[in-house]
Amino acid sequence: MRKSRRIPVLFPATVFCGAALLSLAPGHAGAAPDFTREVRPILEKNCYGCHGPDKQKSGYRLDVRAVALKGGDSRHAAIVPHNSGASPLYKYVSGADAKITMPPKTSTGPRPTAEEIETLRAWIDAGPSWPDEFAGKQEEAAPQWALQPLVKPAVPGPDPNPIDAFIRAKLSAKNLGLSPEADPGSLIRRVYADLIGLPPSPEETEAFVKAMDRSNPASQPEDAWSRLVDTLLSSPRYGERWARHWLDTIHFADSHGFEHDVGRENAWPFRDYVISALNEDKPWRRFVKEQLAADYFYPNQPQLTPALGYLGAGTFDLSAYSTAPVMFEYIDRDDMVTQTMSAFVSTTANCARCHAHKFDPISQEDYYALQAVFAGLIKGDISYDANPDTFRERQRWTSILAAAEKKDSSVLLSPENASLVSTWISQQSGVARWQPLEVEKLLSAGNAVLSTSPGVATAEAKDKVYFSTGPRPDKDTYTITGTSILPEITAIRLNVLADASLPKGGPGRQDNGNLHLSEFEARLIESDAAEPRTLKFSGATADFNQEGWGIQRALDGKIETAWGIHPAEGQSHYAVFTLAEKLSLKQGARLEISLKQAHGTGHLIGAFNLAVTGDPADRVAALPVAVDAALAAPAAERTQAQQVVIAAAALHQAAGDALKKLPPASVVYAAAPSVRIPSSEGGEYQNKSMAEPPPVRLLHRGEYDKPRDVTPPGALSALKHLPARFPLRNPKNEAERRAALADWIAHPDNILTWRSIVNRVWHYHFGRGLCDTPSDFGRMGDIPANPELIDWLAVWFRDEAKGSLKQLHRLIVTSAVYRQSSAYNEAAAKIDGDNRLLWRQNNRRLDADTYRDFALAVSGKLDLTMGGPPVQQFKRSKGPQATPALDYSYYDWNSPGAGRRSIYRCVWRGIADPFMEALDFPDLGLLAPVRGFSASSLQALTLYNNNFVLQQSESFAKRTEKDSPSLEEQVTRAVRLAWLRTPKATEQKEFTDFAKTHGLAALCRLLLNSDEFLFVN
Amino acid sequence: MRSSALSPLSRRRFLWNIGGGFAGLAFSHMLSRDAAAAGIQHHVPKVKRIIQLFMTGGASPMDLFDYKPELVRLHGQMLGPKEKPEGQTAPAGAIMKSPFEFKQHGQSGRWVSSMFPEQAKLVDEMAFLMAMTSKTNVHGPGTYMMNSGFLFPGFPCMGSWISYALGNIADNLPSFVVLPDARGLPYNQRGCFSAGFLPAVHQGTVINAAAPQPVPDLFASSKFAFAKRESDAASLALLDKMNRAHAAEHPGDSRLEARIASYELAAKMQLSAPEAFDVMREPDYVRKAYGMENKVTEDFGRRCLLATRLIERGVRFVQVWSGPQGAVNNWDNHGNILTELPPMAASVDAPIAALLRDLKARGLAEDTLVIWTTEFGRTPFAQGSLGRDHNGGTFVTWLWGAGIKPGVAHGRSDDWGFKTAEGETYCYDFHATVLHLLGINHEKLTVRQNGIDRRLTDVHGHVVKEILA
Repeated sequence: MRKSRRIPVLFPATVFCGAALLSLAPGHAGAAPDFTREVRPILEKNCYGCHGPDKQKSGYRLDVRAVALKGGDSRHAAIVPHNSGASPLYKYVSGADAKITMPPKTSTGPRPTAEEIETLRAWIDAGPSWPDEFAGKQEEAAPQWALQPLVKPAVPGPDPNPIDAFIRAKLSAKNLGLSPEADPGSLIRRVYADLIGLPPSPEETEAFVKAMDRSNPASQPEDAWSRLVDTLLSSPRYGERWARHWLDTIHFADSHGFEHDVGRENAWPFRDYVISALNEDKPWRRFVKEQLAADYFYPNQPQLTPALGYLGAGTFDLSAYSTAPVMFEYIDRDDMVTQTMSAFVSTTANCARCHAHKFDPISQEDYYALQAVFAGLIKGDISYDANPDTFRERQRWTSILAAAEKKDSSVLLSPENASLVSTWISQQSGVARWQPLEVEKLLSAGNAVLSTSPGVATAEAKDKVYFSTGPRPDKDTYTITGTSILPEITAIRLNVLADASLPKGGPGRQDNGNLHLSEFEARLIESDAAEPRTLKFSGATADFNQEGWGIQRALDGKIETAWGIHPAEGQSHYAVFTLAEKLSLKQGARLEISLKQAHGTGHLIGAFNLAVTGDPADRVAALPVAVDAALAAPAAERTQAQQVVIAAAALHQAAGDALKKLPPASVVYAAAPSVRIPSSEGGEYQNKSMAEPPPVRLLHRGEYDKPRDVTPPGALSALKHLPARFPLRNPKNEAERRAALADWIAHPDNILTWRSIVNRVWHYHFGRGLCDTPSDFGRMGDIPANPELIDWLAVWFRDEAKGSLKQLHRLIVTSAVYRQSSAYNEAAAKIDGDNRLLWRQNNRRLDADTYRDFALAVSGKLDLTMGGPPVQQFKRSKGPQATPALDYSYYDWNSPGAGRRSIYRCVWRGIADPFMEALDFPDLGLLAPVRGFSASSLQALTLYNNNFVLQQSESFAKRTEKDSPSLEEQVTRAVRLAWLRTPKATEQKEFTDFAKTHGLAALCRLLLNSDEFLFVN
Repeated sequence: MRSSALSPLSRRRFLWNIGGGFAGLAFSHMLSRDAAAAGIQHHVPKVKRIIQLFMTGGASPMDLFDYKPELVRLHGQMLGPKEKPEGQTAPAGAIMKSPFEFKQHGQSGRWVSSMFPEQAKLVDEMAFLMAMTSKTNVHGPGTYMMNSGFLFPGFPCMGSWISYALGNIADNLPSFVVLPDARGLPYNQRGCFSAGFLPAVHQGTVINAAAPQPVPDLFASSKFAFAKRESDAASLALLDKMNRAHAAEHPGDSRLEARIASYELAAKMQLSAPEAFDVMREPDYVRKAYGMENKVTEDFGRRCLLATRLIERGVRFVQVWSGPQGAVNNWDNHGNILTELPPMAASVDAPIAALLRDLKARGLAEDTLVIWTTEFGRTPFAQGSLGRDHNGGTFVTWLWGAGIKPGVAHGRSDDWGFKTAEGETYCYDFHATVLHLLGINHEKLTVRQNGIDRRLTDVHGHVVKEILA
């Protein structure tokens, strides 16, 4: 491991000029303890262990005067001259502080004596004096390469491709040079693996080898190479390959992680977005802006909404969300901050959560400013319309609906809506004709008495009224059987009637006059039919709905929800239930209606009757009382209030109908102020909305119970030429915050952004970045051997390539550096053993996904279907709690979707696929900017015995058997498919003998286990 | 393997860079297990192997080991916090005394409740951490914390760190084995045994103790007729030849040597694992002692016996879980302590006692450490009227075996058992102590990950010397 470079850095950079201030101590000169003789030994003995030259806990050290006085991470002066009582140092050491004691009580080291403590007191109260020659010095840190101004360096040589010039320059300084170009067979496999993650076919390989044959004067190798590169970059397979890199970098997965590792059925649209963004070669600035704030920047392009899946890529602790909301908010925002700063600007901002970053110029304020960017967001499903026309329609009708609900006259009475309103009014002119139901039988399931004799009806009830009298049960179901003279009916109407005999005038029997109708059911009994037929309703309306207790609740099939009329008691009301289909009533047919009232506490209907109609269903709906009254007034005499009431009813219905007709919205798992959170296996959701971003407070030492000042949104102060804090037009609009951060990241002057992305791309082409830590350009990261090349590429990518990744790929893979051989060279290895300077290309093992895709390609089972929900390559069953149980070993590798590319696999964060894990697929609980390499017995067993490999071996053999007649030829063909070369004579014989005894599939299994297959030269 | 052109050190650096990670270390451990030479072991270890028993859900301290007479006196009084603390699932109810009888046991006079009659007989051999504390009251983060030292996913757990630091004792079995409850995985699923950013080889190998094939993919499925066991020798020989020929054409790449070696070790594992995992090879009286013939103790007992067999054969770290995640069948007794705790306690008590006695009998106690722990404690206040809620404030862990001062207790909780009062011990201190026993300085076992030198103990941790022999 590298030696760590722990260099303490002081934040902020203000230096306390100790000597000048300290000499102001008058009159105590004689009595003051001597620093070097008396004081320093005490500090040395008791404090230096944790706050000295080797260690600076909490950023505090007592061997450097400036820090000793000024304080560490707390940023409160540790020593207040002349005032030991106000000096934390003295308070902690003397035990005068209630919370903190120094050395800590748990420390087993030396403790100061009472006498020593007294010396410290006297020293502080007398000045304190600390001579300049013992002031000590904070080591000056070397300048951090990535924070240097980004200037395009001159290309240091004549190579046509500047990459070659930069690499050669460093190599020749060490008397090294580039290796010769790799053989064409290796080259084509390398560039296929890199750019599309699939192997070339033997035929493609042969044609390419021929085209690259420099001994043939007709060949044009440069053309052949650049044609091949163009073909690969324009293949849709390119986006599939490179999307995986980005998804690793931002720890995207299809489940929450943590205790309740619930699936995110709608995460995949983001994966598809990334694939198509890469295939379209979306400029990098645009890619940044879309992922962070597509909703803000491109409000009229709803099809970009899946880009916001970026915000929801990371983990979600559902359990903490429910039970520990304070901690949850901070850790969830931390996840978004860490992801964004690592992925886009290669900065470990999260290190400043508890204290100023120990190595990089990032303050705690910066960190919490970044948290404030993401305040007001919560991860979950959001809806969107992929079709812009549908989006506009939905927007229009949703705003009309809102206006109708708010009775917003400016919208309701606007000329453009006038025709909708007048049409509606004309439809209302023919008021539905209702016929009373001829009641034959009334039953109470409780012990109430339902009286069929007419009661004392109010004036408005011309028909019979039925009363519930006698004892009042808690709950009841009334069953009413009756007939009608109408031959056809379209709707049933329930009148609940006010009556002086009922509590508060009714119409309910509850003490306050309310009622709750839990379910309304109707059945048709045809005289000769044995079984009553249950009728279906298309909807229900009522003249009044209690808030949250709408009439639809009487049709929702849930006994626990109901219709209510509070606070409009003391008045009659009615509800209309529209049948899904017109119903013919044959001679002798009867209707049986159940009024289920299961709410309890006597919320029962007190007086009621029922009616039916055969009028068209669109005319029968119940209208609010006020609308009825307004319609009754002659058109010319209606007040504006009445016009508004009518228009609201008209447009409410029009909007409701129009919205119902729109195609269903699409859904993506992202983050927004208002979301649906997947909460359990089986499609349960919780809704969550935040009205505005909550204030984010800096946490002292990162502890949730020690909130300090509110931090405004912003980013890093270290990038001087960009705003560190974001001016906001509307601080309540959380999207504006994300947009401000996106602008900060995507700004041409953000020196980190451009360096970060070119290095990241380089990393995937060479197995390692020019800076070896692609998500950390800080002091703890790698110092690049060729920072000039990073800078040149960064500026070129930003200014000339205009952020086109495909141009960057093309520049890299057409360089001689990329195309050189990976062969070992002992002399070069002696000078540059780990190939930092790139005197050869690096051999790389296929990563888990590419291995899988390569295996599918050679077995002939590769399924190139693109996009859509992920393929679940496991058996999924209910787990003990919200998390399902997944069993990967039972997956049938012949089932549909088994051959899809790895990018379309369902990735469950906490229950990883053991096969992929064995090949170093990362734990996506954390960001994974690089893939690891391991070799172990468990990996060997997996590659050798896992059903996936065995199935592909079998298919591989079958495919080869189909292609070639003799075993010998089959062996040749299998080797060519796997290794892209013809077997040597000895191999041919040995492999054929083996296949003869053990079967061709057994040989294919070995080919899929061979290093020649697993490694790319 | 030693014939590589590069020195071990430069080879490691080389691999680090090429593999983008820790391949070099993984490789050197896989082959040499020379942790002292690699600079990771810093002093002479007392412990070579570890069995960790993890009680999923938050085992109630004041109903098991932490006797609180004050709760008897205050029983029924509403003295808890007025507002629901973070991470608890309900507001605090009245103070609730333990419904179980407590007695002092052994020379040390440790208080143990009637729930653990068998462990009570062995308290003089155990060292207790009586004031363990957590930063959270939520299972997911709490279980992460006790396993990896962090509240979040993605960090290597203790078993992985130990595997990474020391490798295995034997080369024919995995170094870190996890034996989950037959009823399901704990909170966080496999996250609790993840190698995080360490190489995959260090993750816990999850064994279904009752499955016919203990190690996943140990043998090919019989579905594939061509993949016969009889052809393995010839197949692996040809593969070895292929890979050696390839390595010869690509000198200077020790990853290729590691790959060749990995198949040799895989073949060894195929030979040894079936025997090691077959507890039926133990004599009747041993199986009986572990409770395998009793329905209540059968599952946990089988897994304790399996743990013994595995460490006996050179597995470095075995983790045995009691209880799956979820609302039932574990130690998360929200509803009713009197009915929910006794079956859990009964399922582990006799097997644990048998395990400790057996380790002694087999001579393994000399270099084996056994740890009993859980993710947090429970409230002294009732949840509802009979259950207890989550409480990260204080809980109990015990250690037994090599390097431990027997019969001691470190720390104590307050009079209610709500918070710690003295000798507060975080997971950092606990992990530092375990690493110390293995000869590892917890501050020096680091891996650079995304800008930080990561440790099992984060930036904290003190070895709890009070419980060390």
